[in-house]
Amino acid sequence: MQNEREAGVDFVEKKFAEYYAGASAFLSPPSGFLQREFGFIPFTGKIMIRHKGFRAPDDLMAFLASLSPAHAYYSAAYYDDPEAPMAKKGWRGSDLIFDIDSDHLPTACTRPHDYWICEDCATGTTQSIHGTCPHCGGSRLRTEFWLCDTCLALAKAEALKLLDFLMDDFGFQNQDIQTCFSGHRGYHVHVASEGVQSLDQGARKEITDYLLGTGLSLPSHGLPQTRRAAEWRATSPTLADAGWRGRIAKGVYDVLLSATPQQLEALAGLSKAIAGHVITNRDRILVDDGASGLWGAVPGVGPKTWEALALTGVQRQAALIDPVVTMDVHRLIRLPRSLHGKTGLQVVPLPVSALEKFDPLQEAIAFPEGRVDVYVADAPAFRLGNAVYGPYRRERVELPMAAGVYLLCKRAAADPQLPP
Amino acid sequence: MMTAMLLSSPDLAKYPFTPEARAYITGLNLSVTELVDPDYGEILLRAEQRIEEALLDGEVKWRGDPYYDIEALSYPVAIMLVASIDDEFLGRRYALAEAKRADTLFRREPDARRLLDIARSAFKWRVEALVDEASPSYEYALHFGDYLRNASKLRSDPWKLVNRLMIKGRVYLKRDELARLLSEEVQHHVHATIASSPKIVVPPLLLPRISRITEILAERRERTRWEELPAKTVAAAYPPCIKRLYDALLAGRHLSHVGRFLLHVGVDTEELIRLYTSVSDFDERLTRYQTEHIAGMKGSGTKYLPPNCDTLKTHGLCPGPDEVCQTIRHPLSYYRTKIRLIRRGHAVAERA
Repeated sequence: MQNEREAGVDFVEKKFAEYYAGASAFLSPPSGFLQREFGFIPFTGKIMIRHKGFRAPDDLMAFLASLSPAHAYYSAAYYDDPEAPMAKKGWRGSDLIFDIDSDHLPTACTRPHDYWICEDCATGTTQSIHGTCPHCGGSRLRTEFWLCDTCLALAKAEALKLLDFLMDDFGFQNQDIQTCFSGHRGYHVHVASEGVQSLDQGARKEITDYLLGTGLSLPSHGLPQTRRAAEWRATSPTLADAGWRGRIAKGVYDVLLSATPQQLEALAGLSKAIAGHVITNRDRILVDDGASGLWGAVPGVGPKTWEALALTGVQRQAALIDPVVTMDVHRLIRLPRSLHGKTGLQVVPLPVSALEKFDPLQEAIAFPEGRVDVYVADAPAFRLGNAVYGPYRRERVELPMAAGVYLLCKRAAADPQLPP
Repeated sequence: MMTAMLLSSPDLAKYPFTPEARAYITGLNLSVTELVDPDYGEILLRAEQRIEEALLDGEVKWRGDPYYDIEALSYPVAIMLVASIDDEFLGRRYALAEAKRADTLFRREPDARRLLDIARSAFKWRVEALVDEASPSYEYALHFGDYLRNASKLRSDPWKLVNRLMIKGRVYLKRDELARLLSEEVQHHVHATIASSPKIVVPPLLLPRISRITEILAERRERTRWEELPAKTVAAAYPPCIKRLYDALLAGRHLSHVGRFLLHVGVDTEELIRLYTSVSDFDERLTRYQTEHIAGMKGSGTKYLPPNCDTLKTHGLCPGPDEVCQTIRHPLSYYRTKIRLIRRGHAVAERA
């Protein structure tokens, strides 16, 4: 079994090498190339090769083609000496980076994504397993995460929210921002403008808090706690307001227009009666904005309720980035146009305007040509490009190259040259 | 000609850290040896006084007319003296006291454009004054990078970026707020100036002055140390996070790893062992080792400090901040602040 899988890995490694051999045509090296540290995880060994620096883009290309790594990264940071040990590199600044991973998002998707594979008997299942394989009793279990349109769409929605923040609130221009599909479950956003490079960890923490709405206090946005109806109504936020104040209004609209009374109860912690009353009267809210503002829109709904709704609105509007990544000024991040070793998909750089229509399961395909025979131990149905494949179970199938490589990367399939 | 014009300007005296003031002083071409000249006696005296005020009052005072030139010239001399004493505590304290002085002057500054000029020329801030903007309560808009460099050190809620109005990368500010941020920048600047000043060989005639400052410094440091922490831990001053864990242990509940760690570093060793004795699954030998290890008495000898508030929040150990928490970012600072508050409370009670 073990040999068979390694044979599959050999095949993928070879395909990656072919890809990298021709990659100089489209893989453009990151800005500040000489000051960047590079890191690679090979298919065998699993230990990251890091603290690498290159004198010329051609050297990087040659290295990629000869190593054919499963994963390739570069530092968001700029260093005097990228090859020196961490403490002696001489940090000169770092791009501002953001990571959105669908694995960390609260998802409404009911499809099981965690997929267990037994290393001993190659049984796979989406049932949750407690400790041992239900088939052979073996304990060497591995989990895989299957890509899913719903979850990728959620990640994209968060990335779009993030771009909105970066442009409207932070004032970055299109050309300052590069978005990348990560090649797996989410998106990375890089801001490389000079104004951000010297920001320290504390400043980056403030930026993550801004995006996540962490520590937001309503009174700071002109939404004071007061019981006097007239005074309080006058503070109502509107969609036209700038910054977080306007976002709070948007968030409240969004919640009210999309939630059921039950969801509203759960989201904003409202009583059943109040949640029902708010939803019954939500048409008034749509019509009445501008005149008396949100806060006055529904008679009988008071400050406490609106405050709860406003806080729910904040959660809706927050861009759910991974704060640890943004705060780390030494972070390595995937190299655009490199390949992701868990999918065989490409890390695709995108201009801001292209994100909305981007289809990762189509446009990130790195091996559009050829077909491959694989032996599939177990795989659920999955989409890639315009076709849906599977489910497969202990069978030999001939697939388009991208789908075959995907299954081999997921280790759900093996090279048929070594039949079971 | 030029000199006379500049000397007449009180701005150099008020803001001696500006490039204009620096250029003026450099232009005078003063040397260290000249300082002992009786002609400069006043300047030297004022420099010494600046440091003394920093140590004793925490704020360098502003002396207006007719001391302008003495004010301007005594600043670099004071920096030179502080740098030659080469003491981190003094350096920090002096920078803070000059920043307080600047803050007071910024707030009183009759010409609002002055703040803008200083921010731009001395610190390269990307800042503009707002005219006829939609938000009449704001006077300035500052680039978020310049804002964060200074505001991320200020702890209270209103300074958090998420609580500011920010449009297209510009953070909207009131005058007092701009003044506060500028004085933060002054503090970094003064501190950096001290750190980068060459350590000069002090002329013998200056030595008595240096030793006088060193004496005040020693007294001041002693006082701070005494003020710092009482010998026995005061449970009433525990921050909410430690208090909760302490209570949990008293009630015999299980603590998580990080929870144990936090408690160990937050509470006195003997006190902890006594506390553990009251819990059922207690192995005194093991507990003593763990506790003393974390306290740095055993093992590698590393004395561990509690993680800061941000880390505690990440681990879900912050039960929610109280009033004192708003002013700190580390549980140990809470303890120190709270002890001070308790003492002040006692002092007031005794007097009453």
